[in-house]
Amino acid sequence: MGQGSSTGLNRQGLPGDRKSDGDKKDKKYEPAAPPARVGRKQRKQKGPEAAARLPTVTPLTKCKLRLLKLERIKDYLLMEEEFVTNQERLKPQEEKTEEDRSKVDDLRGSPMSVGNLEELIDENHAIVSSSVGPEYYVSILSFVDKDQLEPGCAILMHNKVLSVVGILQDEVDPMVSVMKVEKAPLESYADIGGLDAQIQEIKEAVELPLTHPELYEDIGIKPPKGVILYGEPGTGKTLLAKAVANSTSATFLRVVGSELIQKYLGDGPKLVRELFRVADDLSPSIVFIDEIDAVGTKRYDAHSGGEREIQRTMLELLNQLDGFDSRGDVKVILATNKIESLDPALLRPGRIDRKIEFPLPDIKTRRRIFQIHTSRMTLAGDVNLEEFVMTKDEFSGADIKAICTEAGLLALRERRMKVTQADFKKAKEKVMFKKKEGVPEGLYM
Amino acid sequence: MQLEGSVYDSSSERSDYDDHRRGTGDEHDDFLFPWKPSIMAPEPKNTAGGGATREEASTKVPKKKDEKKDEDLSEEDLALKQQLELYVERVQDPDPGLQKVALESMRQEIRTSTSSMTSVPKPLKFLRPHYGTLKAYYETMKDSDQKKFLADILSVLALTMSAEGERESLKYRLLGSKGDIGSWGHEYVRNLAGEIAQEYTKHQNEEVPIDDIMDLVQQIVEFHMKHNAEPEAVDLLMEVEDLDLLVEHVDIANYKRTCLYLTAAARYLPDPDDMLVLDIAYGIYMKFDEYASALQIALLLDNQQYVNQIFSTCDDLFQKKQFCYILARQGVPFVLDDNMVLEEDDREQLQDIINNAKLSEGYLTLARDIEVMEPKSPEDIYKAHLLDGRASASATVDSARQNLSATFVNAFVNAGFGQDKLMTVPSEASSGSSSGNWLFKNKEHGKISVAASLGMILLWDVDSGLSQIDKYLHSSDNHVIAGALLGIGIVNCNIKNDCDPALALLGDYIDKEDPSIRIGAVMGLGITYANTQNEMIRRKFMPILGDSKAPLDVIAFTAISLGLVYVGSCNEEVAQAILFSLMDRSDTELGDPLTRLLPLGLGLLYLGKQDSVEATTEVSKTFNEKFRKYCDMTLLSCAYAGTGNVLKVQSLLGHCAQHLDKGETHQGPAVLGIAMVAMAEELGLEMAIRSLEHLLQYGEQNIRRAVPLAFGLLCISNPKVNVMDTLSRLSHDSDSEVATAAIISLGLIGAGTNNARIAGMLRNLSSYYYKDANSLFCVRIAQGLVHLGKGLLTLNPYHSDRFLLSPTALAALVIVLHACLDMKPIILGKYHFVLYFLVLAMQPRMLMTVDENLRPLSVPVRVGQAVDIVGQAGRPKTITGFQTHSTPVLLAAGDRAELATEKYIPLSPILEGFVILKQNPDYREDQ
Repeated sequence: MGQGSSTGLNRQGLPGDRKSDGDKKDKKYEPAAPPARVGRKQRKQKGPEAAARLPTVTPLTKCKLRLLKLERIKDYLLMEEEFVTNQERLKPQEEKTEEDRSKVDDLRGSPMSVGNLEELIDENHAIVSSSVGPEYYVSILSFVDKDQLEPGCAILMHNKVLSVVGILQDEVDPMVSVMKVEKAPLESYADIGGLDAQIQEIKEAVELPLTHPELYEDIGIKPPKGVILYGEPGTGKTLLAKAVANSTSATFLRVVGSELIQKYLGDGPKLVRELFRVADDLSPSIVFIDEIDAVGTKRYDAHSGGEREIQRTMLELLNQLDGFDSRGDVKVILATNKIESLDPALLRPGRIDRKIEFPLPDIKTRRRIFQIHTSRMTLAGDVNLEEFVMTKDEFSGADIKAICTEAGLLALRERRMKVTQADFKKAKEKVMFKKKEGVPEGLYM
Repeated sequence: MQLEGSVYDSSSERSDYDDHRRGTGDEHDDFLFPWKPSIMAPEPKNTAGGGATREEASTKVPKKKDEKKDEDLSEEDLALKQQLELYVERVQDPDPGLQKVALESMRQEIRTSTSSMTSVPKPLKFLRPHYGTLKAYYETMKDSDQKKFLADILSVLALTMSAEGERESLKYRLLGSKGDIGSWGHEYVRNLAGEIAQEYTKHQNEEVPIDDIMDLVQQIVEFHMKHNAEPEAVDLLMEVEDLDLLVEHVDIANYKRTCLYLTAAARYLPDPDDMLVLDIAYGIYMKFDEYASALQIALLLDNQQYVNQIFSTCDDLFQKKQFCYILARQGVPFVLDDNMVLEEDDREQLQDIINNAKLSEGYLTLARDIEVMEPKSPEDIYKAHLLDGRASASATVDSARQNLSATFVNAFVNAGFGQDKLMTVPSEASSGSSSGNWLFKNKEHGKISVAASLGMILLWDVDSGLSQIDKYLHSSDNHVIAGALLGIGIVNCNIKNDCDPALALLGDYIDKEDPSIRIGAVMGLGITYANTQNEMIRRKFMPILGDSKAPLDVIAFTAISLGLVYVGSCNEEVAQAILFSLMDRSDTELGDPLTRLLPLGLGLLYLGKQDSVEATTEVSKTFNEKFRKYCDMTLLSCAYAGTGNVLKVQSLLGHCAQHLDKGETHQGPAVLGIAMVAMAEELGLEMAIRSLEHLLQYGEQNIRRAVPLAFGLLCISNPKVNVMDTLSRLSHDSDSEVATAAIISLGLIGAGTNNARIAGMLRNLSSYYYKDANSLFCVRIAQGLVHLGKGLLTLNPYHSDRFLLSPTALAALVIVLHACLDMKPIILGKYHFVLYFLVLAMQPRMLMTVDENLRPLSVPVRVGQAVDIVGQAGRPKTITGFQTHSTPVLLAAGDRAELATEKYIPLSPILEGFVILKQNPDYREDQ
């Protein structure tokens, strides 16, 4: 929140100047320098601070040239450090800025009221409004960074004279900030039974480009931008995404497709834009959109405004995936179980370069999944899981989990401490029955 | 997975599986994994495996119980692991036959394994625990083929096992069978190369012979060069300091990539190594008859002998013409002799190219093609109508100053076009001569610049230039004569003419009484004969330096001009003369702002010559404290200009870190010095910009005044947005000198780009400063610079893809920037014509394609942002975001061009300036 004031200070020349200014026989008051430009705010520079960013070093391959270049950068940084520490020792800047800051704080007063900038009149005046009450014509204090002001932005105002004393800059949509996965999920790759090929593919497409870009340059290809995971329900798509989130140190943003559908017109596309902007700011990052079919279905003549809005949301998504602005280190993972209903434009190479299918588990995988789920259960000696593994019935990973849980519950019902083979059998029948019941065969045919 | 599964379906395996289920089913511990044995023992593919399977199966079951860890392994992995364990046991078998088979199959296993890109291959992982046993066994073995085999395998195993610094991989490699090195994969070779490098440094320290490893180096280099890994080969050879080997191993397919890597690395290597590397690159280019590239390197090395060699080796006349264009761009004096070109006529033609005789013609062709021949008046540049309000009513302030700035703007904008709206308006249009009118709208010293501006407008066009300027020579006004003399010098800038018209015309005026005439003549000669090391000039100038009665300004300009003529030559006599002249100055004279040009002239003699400056620095110790430091900084920064030497940047920064209170001035040159040294390569440039920001934050006023100028030099003709923003902020600084310096620098970074953003900023500044004559003058100059040559010219001293540095251009920029360090008495005073030194740095930023008879030829080219392709595999694209134009085209900073047609072959690898195109004999028209 307080960022407004500090950036405002830095941009407006250094405190030193003002002092020397005062020394010079107090000239007639001159208005502060006009901002370089008025109107639309400058797009916030990428990353923490554009100036602090180091130049990129090519080639990406590990070689002596790269080493030499990196060493060169290091040399310069060391020199900077030496210089700055020297200067700080000679004449501590900190105290001075502290002093200035407290002066600015005095000027701003407390509490400050929050308002809205309605219109910029000239360099130093603006029309503002607060949430209640009329609009005011007020002055803008000189330490406010005028480049950041734009009509409609949230500002801090002095509590009495209502002059503009700061800018509120926290512009990340709260909707987006909740999407960020702060705590890594507990599921790791080790918790996935089978799916070796899928893990390999997703690693190549999503993780390696972020960690080892040089491998791709070596070969001379551009790494894939995104992947889509598809397959029957319960085959582990979300689980794999969780594992990716668990193992990566990149920012992980997760959304469910239905979250992108908003009440008001234009909010959905805006949310998508925000999402990708945040992803870009926090790059390297991975965006995971689960159940993409909520917004990504094929386009057709829409009858209701709601449908049209959903389609517009998808169009924005298309643009963000491979549109005019290039995405840097942002990788996208989509997941769905109805890939055939998705819009072909969404799936074209360049947007989604890899389609990873999640089949129903084969015998080996099933065995592995059973093993994972039963590894923490107390099992009686007679349990022979091979019987379930070898069965002809179609199980998904989720079904297996359900069987194990069900068996455990049955044992619990009978107050047994061990789960027996009989429990498993019963559980399996129950689960299979329920599964069949879900779609009564032939009823609607 | 699926595939292998089907292999196991053979009936024998199935029975095996059943056995085990029965065997293990009762054991409680194991009940979860009754399936495990089912895939055990994949039938080894080698012949010996059959008998082993059963025995293995029996040993394995108990083992599994021991190692709970196994549970993590998938079935195939487990099988593989057991297989390998068996091999390990067998290797230790006394029977040599069995040993051999085991080794053979182990080798097979390792070689065929593939894995994901980043993890260790599985066989290696499983063999890790046995590394120690194998090693111990190896020591007990008798010498035999098997022993060598085992050494090979140990060498591979050491890849993952060997402790840091042990270099066991190398050790066993040397003991091994010395077979094909590539058969173990790239990672192995790479690791080996790393160990060799370590071993080499160790040997160096202990002075042990290194013949054994050099053999291996040969092999590795050969392998790398065959597999598109040129950087790695080069790296290894650099480590073992034997780059000569490279020349044998490059071939036609990879020499370009290799040389590119070498030249890129040379920029970052410490002093003697970089020359060596460039030498090798030169050798390779010569080997493959890539003379034009070789010439670039020869010029970078500043090696006259190499240039001669290239001329005498190459026997293609057209290529030689191209060489001449390259030499002309670099601005080195060069005289062809009989050995280089046999035919008299050809030689004359080539010499003409070197002398830049056709430069004006080419430039005008470009201008006509782009349709910018129409002269522009200063008002067209100011675009005052775009400003609202207060600025328009500003005509009242100091009209002489305004006319002077208009003169400069007019000169810069119409430079080289031969026509303008102030000076060369046809005389019949307005009765009398309007140019005369304009001349007399200026007062006294202003007239020097006005008369000289005619030279700028007629730049490079010697014949008509001399005839048009001639009329001013007969003027009665000394200032006009001085301007005319300067103008003659400007016209001849970068052009060499056999009759030496400049010397003939200007020579007599040097000894005239009037100081301004003398300055005009001296400066004119300096500009014309820059970097020629002309003996005549020296003889004429030396007496002035020694003349105790000559005014200070004359001496200062003489020193600068001598510095220009002998730029980077380290000429002892000239240096002595300037030093003596400095010693003669009294303390008050040393305080004069113009005196700063004397040490600068001295510095120019050593421009980029690094250590050679030391003797002179010693002598300068005799000056008084204040001036000595100034001298030191100037000499240091000049001597290391364009080298990128980090140590020097550090020492310069160290000088800037002090806070002075005695009004010393040496920090200004130190700040400029940082820019001069760091501008050599992109990284240093970016980092220097960062460092300068710190200077701005912490420095005192005298440093802050120099920082904008340093920005101007770093980004000359290359408007980087972040620098532009910083300068725009500084242009409103409360310290007026910082502000004026920032304004001039805005002009410099935008020089010749027509950059609309800078133009807009300057327009706003012109209305902001409408009451301040000095600032307004600077704004006008900057506006003129931004539209330099209507956007066809550049001031960047780096050319040919930022590879070569033109010493005269850099010298010119440095002079102007030093003059800007103290703006008031020099540029804002009566020596504003110092700005004309910029003419030395002006070059058309064009790509002009000509056919073999040097007639302009229009072909389609793609122009786009250059991409750094050093060390990339394949043939990556060199430009991005390109547009297709037809030549002649303009190239902005950081742009690169490539031909969009296969019909022609360019004779120069870098498409800049004049490029000769040759018909492609293999070209076939598309149907």
